[in-house]
Amino acid sequence: MRKTFVIIVNVIIMAAIVIFVVLYSGYESRDSYNRQIKHFEKTTVTMERVTENYLEGEQRICDVWAKYINSEDMTLNEAIEYIRASHVLENNSTHLISLDTLTGLSTRPKQGTSDDYAVSYERVDLLDDVSWIDDIGESINITRAFTNPMNGEQSLAFCNRVTLRDPESKSSGDAVLLRVIPISELEQKWVFPQEEFANAELSMIDADGYYILKGYSFKNSDFFEFYKSYNPTDPASSKALFDRITSSTGSVSMLNSHGQECILAFTPVAATAGWTLLGFVPAEDLKADTGNWLLPGVISAGLLILFLLDLFYMLYLNRRLQVAVTDAESANKAKTDFLSTMSHDIRTPMNAIIGLTSIAEKNLGDVDSTRESLRKIGLAGNHLLTLINDILDISKVESGKLKLSPLTFSIVETVENLVNISQPMIKEKKIDFSFHIDNMDKEYLYTDQLRLNQICINILSNAIKYTEPGGRVSVEMREEESNVPGCVRLVYTVADTGIGMSPEFMETMYQPFSRQTDSRVNSIQGTGLGLAITKQMVDLMGGTIECQSEQGKGTSFTVTLDIPVADRQLEEIRLDSIDALIVDDDEIFLQTTADELESLGAGVEQARSGKEALEMIRRRHESGRDYNIVILDWKMPDMDGLETIRRIRTEVDMDNPILLTSAYDWTDIEDLAKEAGANGFVTKPIFRSTLYNKINELLGTKTRSVEPEDDYSDLNGMHILIAEDIDVNWEILSGMLSVFGITSDRAENGRVCVDKVRNAAEGSYELIFMDVQMPEMNGLDATRAIRESDNSWAASIPIIAVTADAFSENVAECMDAGMNGHIAKPIDMKLVIKEIRRIRERSEQK
Amino acid sequence: MKKIMCMFLAVLMILSLAACGSEEQKAAAEEGFKPALDTAESCEINVAGGYDNFEALETEFDRFNEYYPDVKLVFTKVDDYNNMIGTVLNGNDAPDIYVSNSWMYGRDQYKSSIDHAENLADPDLGIDLDCIRSNIILNTNDGTLPMVPVFSNTYGMLVNNDLFEKEGLSVPSTYQELVEVCDAFREKGYKNPIMGFTNEETTSLYTLTIYPFFCETVADDAEAVKKLNALDPSAGEYMRPSLEKIEQFMNDCRVDTDACAEIEDNYEAVIMRFFEGDVPMMTCSGDTVSGTAKRESRSEAFIADPFEYTFVPVPMSDDGAYFLDMPNLQFSVNKESPKLDMVNEFMRFLITSRELNEMAQNKGLMSPTKDLSFDNMYAAFGEIPESRILSPEEIGLTDDAVIQMRQAVYKVGTGAMTIDEAVAAYGTFEQ
Repeated sequence: MRKTFVIIVNVIIMAAIVIFVVLYSGYESRDSYNRQIKHFEKTTVTMERVTENYLEGEQRICDVWAKYINSEDMTLNEAIEYIRASHVLENNSTHLISLDTLTGLSTRPKQGTSDDYAVSYERVDLLDDVSWIDDIGESINITRAFTNPMNGEQSLAFCNRVTLRDPESKSSGDAVLLRVIPISELEQKWVFPQEEFANAELSMIDADGYYILKGYSFKNSDFFEFYKSYNPTDPASSKALFDRITSSTGSVSMLNSHGQECILAFTPVAATAGWTLLGFVPAEDLKADTGNWLLPGVISAGLLILFLLDLFYMLYLNRRLQVAVTDAESANKAKTDFLSTMSHDIRTPMNAIIGLTSIAEKNLGDVDSTRESLRKIGLAGNHLLTLINDILDISKVESGKLKLSPLTFSIVETVENLVNISQPMIKEKKIDFSFHIDNMDKEYLYTDQLRLNQICINILSNAIKYTEPGGRVSVEMREEESNVPGCVRLVYTVADTGIGMSPEFMETMYQPFSRQTDSRVNSIQGTGLGLAITKQMVDLMGGTIECQSEQGKGTSFTVTLDIPVADRQLEEIRLDSIDALIVDDDEIFLQTTADELESLGAGVEQARSGKEALEMIRRRHESGRDYNIVILDWKMPDMDGLETIRRIRTEVDMDNPILLTSAYDWTDIEDLAKEAGANGFVTKPIFRSTLYNKINELLGTKTRSVEPEDDYSDLNGMHILIAEDIDVNWEILSGMLSVFGITSDRAENGRVCVDKVRNAAEGSYELIFMDVQMPEMNGLDATRAIRESDNSWAASIPIIAVTADAFSENVAECMDAGMNGHIAKPIDMKLVIKEIRRIRERSEQK
Repeated sequence: MKKIMCMFLAVLMILSLAACGSEEQKAAAEEGFKPALDTAESCEINVAGGYDNFEALETEFDRFNEYYPDVKLVFTKVDDYNNMIGTVLNGNDAPDIYVSNSWMYGRDQYKSSIDHAENLADPDLGIDLDCIRSNIILNTNDGTLPMVPVFSNTYGMLVNNDLFEKEGLSVPSTYQELVEVCDAFREKGYKNPIMGFTNEETTSLYTLTIYPFFCETVADDAEAVKKLNALDPSAGEYMRPSLEKIEQFMNDCRVDTDACAEIEDNYEAVIMRFFEGDVPMMTCSGDTVSGTAKRESRSEAFIADPFEYTFVPVPMSDDGAYFLDMPNLQFSVNKESPKLDMVNEFMRFLITSRELNEMAQNKGLMSPTKDLSFDNMYAAFGEIPESRILSPEEIGLTDDAVIQMRQAVYKVGTGAMTIDEAVAAYGTFEQ
């Protein structure tokens, strides 16, 4: 209703503007028209002056002749001879006509003769009454148009009365001298200025309305009859009009013989007896129609276009608003649903934490029960942490503040981390899991490792989450050549045999707060943010994410990223000349591992089952050419890895090292494997450097640095300064560190920390764990103050941020302030230890 | 609904704007005539005649301009036309079309006029001569047609139809009825039931009433025509029935010659007297009828008390009236015209029933076409059977013979001569 009202108001306003413009234009047009009429009147008056000058000139010639003839008492022949001698114009002639006989002589012979000069006006109704001819010099005496009796040409004549002597009777008689001018000659001279009034015509009428000269559009022989024929009038009105025309200067509108409106301008011809000059022009010629209609036309068209644009823009905006409202409602509903879900999802682990904490407190004496409770509290806490991280990430994503913080990292670590993280769920759900790598030449890459991890973990954890127990999840990671200089193309594919996704869901799967629901997996915990975050991060890293899914059959996600290669890469590594046997039922693993080993310089043979391996080892052993190393998969059909090892060791009695591989968590079978004869373990996928290190380790060769796993003796005795304002946080961190034999001092804020460092003896602290948000002086300022210290030891002491500010820009801020590392709260002790070791290793390298 | 309304308003606005645009003035498409030349052609065509005014022809110029807008057609009045046309045709202002008369045939004075004329019967010109009544198309002896009639003329009387209706009388169709009507009007107090111009023999009442009767008496008598044309004195006897008839008419209808003498001329005065409204019947020619329309507004009596009037033949025979069918104005084409193609195109345009009837109606003259019913003024002549239509040209009477007859009738009618004297004087009368 309101829209209709607005449209109607618009139309009314537009119509009002157009009407105004049309009226104004019409007014302007009329004004211009009136000015043109006045101009036409003036031009007619000017033409009258020109005409009058011409007529006076012609009449003067006639007057001179007449005066001379009268003064010389001439006969007809003498007079005509005189005029003939004076006459120079070829087309003109002069007639001298006796008023007694209406006959006389012409200066030019009759048509078709050379000597017949006799002329008669007896049958030309022109000289029967000559009272209109005034005395010489008094006025212009001009005849109407008549047919020249000598040559039949339509002509006019300027006249004077003269007296001629009759040579026979010796008496004088009245005669008329006619200076005859062809009308065709006059018509050529007597025209309106063409450039101004191209279609204008002139006529001259006498006092009775008869034409002296007649323009083409003037009809009848009498102008007044012409007027009455084509213009409705009554006798009184027409008489008044005719009186006005013949006595004044002005103009009137009248219709011509075509019914077209014309303007008749009139002005008396001075020095004539009641003659009037008439100018006649079509009214259309005086109207500036085109310009006047152009203006309202353009304005109308402009308004119409404006109206239509506004209308369509309004409709477009309305549609956008409707969509926005729908989206907002949808988003609002999604957020409501999300909050409801979050409430549930947060309360669930919180419930577990609080409940299990209560149980642990009550069963403090029961170590196993307490341990189990604490283990479950840890799991619930981790889940809660994931939830909170996701929520914070999506918040960043939605506000557009998500930024990358690239750093050099090892893709091997990323993959190991990925496999490690996913192992518990794989194990729990007994999922058939495989992870293949292919052509992973560049181990060190330069990008935001945290985000890359998130991408990989999100996709893999989704696959595991949405795959029912006993299902299959396979991961493939490979390097390809990139079009981007300095980059490799990392292709990461995760395929599962899970519940799959409906096409409808796939359309919105990258939107936040969306989760595929299925009765089979309604117990799946998740934020519904993982894919949204993943997509945003992939986009941010300039990559692509593709998905193929079929409900009930499974899903496949492929992420492609062009990642810069880090400057730092492994040195050329080669194994001594060894023979290796790889045993696996996984053809891809066989091939990729064989390629890696061969690239390291090893001789490689492959076996696709335990039996085949046993036979090959036996043959080698019998030939005295044992394999230097056997790399054996744990889970194989028919004969698994443990049984194979056991039989190798018992039946073949081969002593050389056997390396057990698996994509699964092998901690449960570690003891059994060692007992069976396995010398080492390695988790799939196996990178070249991993193979190199592990083989060298088993063969007793010097290896590159290998991180001790459960041996924390290297940390024992370390002394660390912890800047932390929250007591509980201090207690947690210091307590955890003490487990590893690390002692610590506390600084309650940044200022205290700076003072302690300044006042401490050199080497008192090996590193500082620095909280960022602290009273008095925050961690960043404290770090800057320490780095600016004159004490070179203090200025170079490693500082690691331990903060709840977990975003990449927070990390960057820390690094910019001069810190050496960053650990996000809540604290993962594995990360803490790893970071401590990294710092120490760098310090040692220096 | 709202969208439909928006669209409706938009369309309405567009239509409103379009309505503001100037309408194209298209020439009315005439049926029948189709231009044969380039309609963009530009030239000037000059038509010469003796009329002071020829507005009816100028109207045709305008109509022709609807097809050929750039052809400028001008009518020029030539003074002393009949004497000057030859000179004009040989001069610098030679017209493209000029007025001719059938009596110009065979006279040396008009030889130039005939010699300049194009043969309009040439089928290549495509002129539709069939639309014209055949008895007024006058070919020369060699079969050429130098002129074609654009108006025709006849003799008859103007009838005040309102008076007839008022008095319950019918317009007479026989001589007996004419006498009876005159008596009836007289009895009803009308002093002059029938009048006409009588001051001189320039288409006087006498000629107007008796000339058709005379033509009928000699129409089938070639010997009589021959003698009459030869102005043989003995041929005067052929006039006797006509002279007796005029005498009878003057007596039977008791024409008031004194009242008629007050009518000063055979044109305007006749019309103005008729418009006084007290004369039921006024003899005149078709030429005079053509002036009636314009003079209605000049007659105070007619303006005050207008009435319906028509032109009908005067029934001088008991068998009924005769229709004396004569060409009036005829057009010739100057075969030396520099724009002959366009001139012939104009003639092809003009010589059609539609245009000739239109022009005749505008001029007030009788159309030369076969259909006279279109004009109520002359419709009565169209009802006359073909057997009673007479053409002096077809009969073969020369102008000189007709002059003798007219003078004789005038003399007898005015009482200046007896019938015998007039018969005896045949061949001696002067115009």
